[in-house]
Amino acid sequence: MRLSLRVNGEAHDVQARADEMLLAVLRRELGLLSVRESCGVGVCGACTVLLDGEPVSGCLLFAPLAEGREITTAEGLGGEHPVQRAFAEAHAFQCGYCTPGMVLTVKRILEVNPSPTLDEIKLELAGNLCRCGCYVKIVEAVQRAAANATAIP
Amino acid sequence: MVSGAVRYAADVELTGMLHARILRSPYPHARVLRVDTTAVPSGVVVLTPDDVRGLGAYGCQIKDETVLAVDRVRHVGDPVAAVAARTPREAEEALALIEVEYEELPAVFDPVEAAEQDAPLVHEAHRVSENPAAYFGLRPEAGTNVCHRFRIRSGDVDAAFGDADVVVEETYRTAAAQHAAMEPHASLARWDDERLEVWTGTQTPFNVRADLASVFGIPEERIRIVALPMGGAFGAKAFVRLEAIVAALARKAERPVKAVLTRPEEWVTLNRHPAVITVAVAARADGTLLAKRAESWADTGAYADCGPGVAQKIGYTVVGPYRIPNVYVDSHCVYTNLPPNGAFRGYGATQAVWASERLMDVLAERLSMDPLELRLRNVLRDGDAFCTGEIVHDVRFAECLEAAASAIGWSEGRRGKGLCVLLKGMQTPSRAAVAIEVDGGRFVLRCATTEMGQGARRAISLEAARLLGVESEQIAFPNPDTDVVPYDTRTTSSRSTHMMGRALEEAVRDLRESSGTRGFGEIRNDGGLDPDTGQGIASSHWHQGACAAEVRMDEETGKVDVVRVHASVYAGRVVNRPGGELQNEGSMIMGLGTALFEAVDFEAGQVTNANLSDYEVPSIADMPELTHDLIERDGAEVHGLGETALPPVPAAIGNALASLGLHMTELPITAEAVLEAVDRGRKSDVGAVTAG
Repeated sequence: MRLSLRVNGEAHDVQARADEMLLAVLRRELGLLSVRESCGVGVCGACTVLLDGEPVSGCLLFAPLAEGREITTAEGLGGEHPVQRAFAEAHAFQCGYCTPGMVLTVKRILEVNPSPTLDEIKLELAGNLCRCGCYVKIVEAVQRAAANATAIP
Repeated sequence: MVSGAVRYAADVELTGMLHARILRSPYPHARVLRVDTTAVPSGVVVLTPDDVRGLGAYGCQIKDETVLAVDRVRHVGDPVAAVAARTPREAEEALALIEVEYEELPAVFDPVEAAEQDAPLVHEAHRVSENPAAYFGLRPEAGTNVCHRFRIRSGDVDAAFGDADVVVEETYRTAAAQHAAMEPHASLARWDDERLEVWTGTQTPFNVRADLASVFGIPEERIRIVALPMGGAFGAKAFVRLEAIVAALARKAERPVKAVLTRPEEWVTLNRHPAVITVAVAARADGTLLAKRAESWADTGAYADCGPGVAQKIGYTVVGPYRIPNVYVDSHCVYTNLPPNGAFRGYGATQAVWASERLMDVLAERLSMDPLELRLRNVLRDGDAFCTGEIVHDVRFAECLEAAASAIGWSEGRRGKGLCVLLKGMQTPSRAAVAIEVDGGRFVLRCATTEMGQGARRAISLEAARLLGVESEQIAFPNPDTDVVPYDTRTTSSRSTHMMGRALEEAVRDLRESSGTRGFGEIRNDGGLDPDTGQGIASSHWHQGACAAEVRMDEETGKVDVVRVHASVYAGRVVNRPGGELQNEGSMIMGLGTALFEAVDFEAGQVTNANLSDYEVPSIADMPELTHDLIERDGAEVHGLGETALPPVPAAIGNALASLGLHMTELPITAEAVLEAVDRGRKSDVGAVTAG
């Protein structure tokens, strides 16, 4: 079937089967390879995309259900988003496979709660696994991004 | 990284490529009577046992694997057929159309039982490999499932045990674990005019090339391996995984073929060796260690992979970083009908350190000694001899221990606290080489070191920039390509920053002394151990570390709450500080998983938790307070940091529980096991014996 998806601010017409997941469609049709399959069952967060700003697992969402919604992937943040900068400055990654999903989730965390406590960061990021175990520096990155966002110019 | 621009093996494509899927055995051990593919549509390429019967065997240390199982499957998940189709879905559907008839055979799942004389044989005859990954004499035991045994014979152990004031003995177990790299295994192969090219996520491009040459009976020069960045590996992407199947499919299809494992397939592809280790130590009343005796069984599953090497590492690591004049070790690598087990961050040290360092606290308790004091009295110091006969230099075990103890306030009270110290070897013997090509103002490194997130590219580039006196931005480090890069043993055992750093020094010297356009440097670390005596050079230098943990335990639920963990690791000289910190932190977090919850569960050879929902890897919510030191010394050489902080974490936690009267002997330390220990009335379950 033909789908109209709005991704990273642009409208796209793509081909997909009705039972295909958004993850597969974004990768195959639009080449958005920052959206990555890992667990395949929605527990690891590597395939996270933002749907109208909310993190969802691309591996569990039927692509047609994303029609009419605003889809954001890491490519759409441009590379210089404050959360991306904070991750780079804090060295909060090793292999980088989970990083796009982490960055998108953190973006939303800080929109809802601009100054999260350590416990809040741990709770909100518990659905994004990093097998390299960069969690110490991921916490630093979230705190750094929060501090930058709330700093008085 | 932060934009998701890295391209992993799962991301690469070639025009006209097909997608592969693998049909796997549902039985742990069975004869394959018939593979019927007549129902598969003609557009789908099918690889059957008959297609691979004439191909060579492979295996990094023992050539016991074929591209597909031929005539006999040896574990649940053993590949019996493979298909390649235009889409992954079409391939998946074709799998369901293949009929296989099996005749089940008796199976064995426990390494100690499997090592018995009357156990069902997983392989009817033993074989060895001639490729460079088999770096020691293999000692298979004919007529048994023991594919290798490693021994240490040093001093007179019986006499020393007889003379000891105290003897303690216990058996420790470590469960299988799954690497669970975020990126699953992925490989893409293409044949072009009798030349094979493979793009794959591998830590071992040259070992893969050698094994594929063995499979297809062609010279290594006709095979090109491009090692793409990996989304984590942790040992799972060492040696041949999917490469042989995609290459055989691509040859039959006359088209490029790519395979990406589904997540559940990871659990039947490679796990960490479960191990059973019985260890006994004899000491004087003042705590001086006199002798150690150990027997271990590493369960390598249905195919040996690098299990013999793991058994060797268990064999000497279980002795620990101590002066012990009398040592007797038998370390067995045993086939079972479980999925293959292989390299896993820690490489045998995790299992060995759990046993040896838990027993040190049992001994300390028996002697009524401070566990720190007991260790400091016995740790190896510069100029001491290890049980292998080699003299150790630049060792900092005491310093690591003191730093770790101090970090958790050891002197202010030991209740709820535990310590652990370890030595871990680096691949010995091995070779490393690098070429530096000058291209305008850029310096291109031709280097086989692979990137799996450990930061090797960054560290080696920084070293190159330092040695060349240029900015790191001027260094280029393309993906390793065996057509272009000089031979390197492999990217394992935390060797690359150390070995490539030394090779770079040679290459920079050569560049300066030669034309100035290309410099080549090669180094080797020689050594190795006699498999019958354990004498020789185990490691050309030692990875050294200590760990301290503080825990609380809920007596109602058995839940262990790790309050904090501190690791002190000897770095020699730090090349890339954030990278070194990440290695320590990541190792400790992985060690926490091994300590408390990671276990591959089996039921009659079937994995029952083959997904990331039931198999728990640590999340950010599991993270305790984590701190660490990178200990440096002026003039020291670079020490690898990739895994030193993992193996000591479980024993530090176990010893912290022991300080509360709970003597745990199995990893992971589940809440159920803790509750049982509490129910035993906090009586030690240690079967210790006091000698006269």
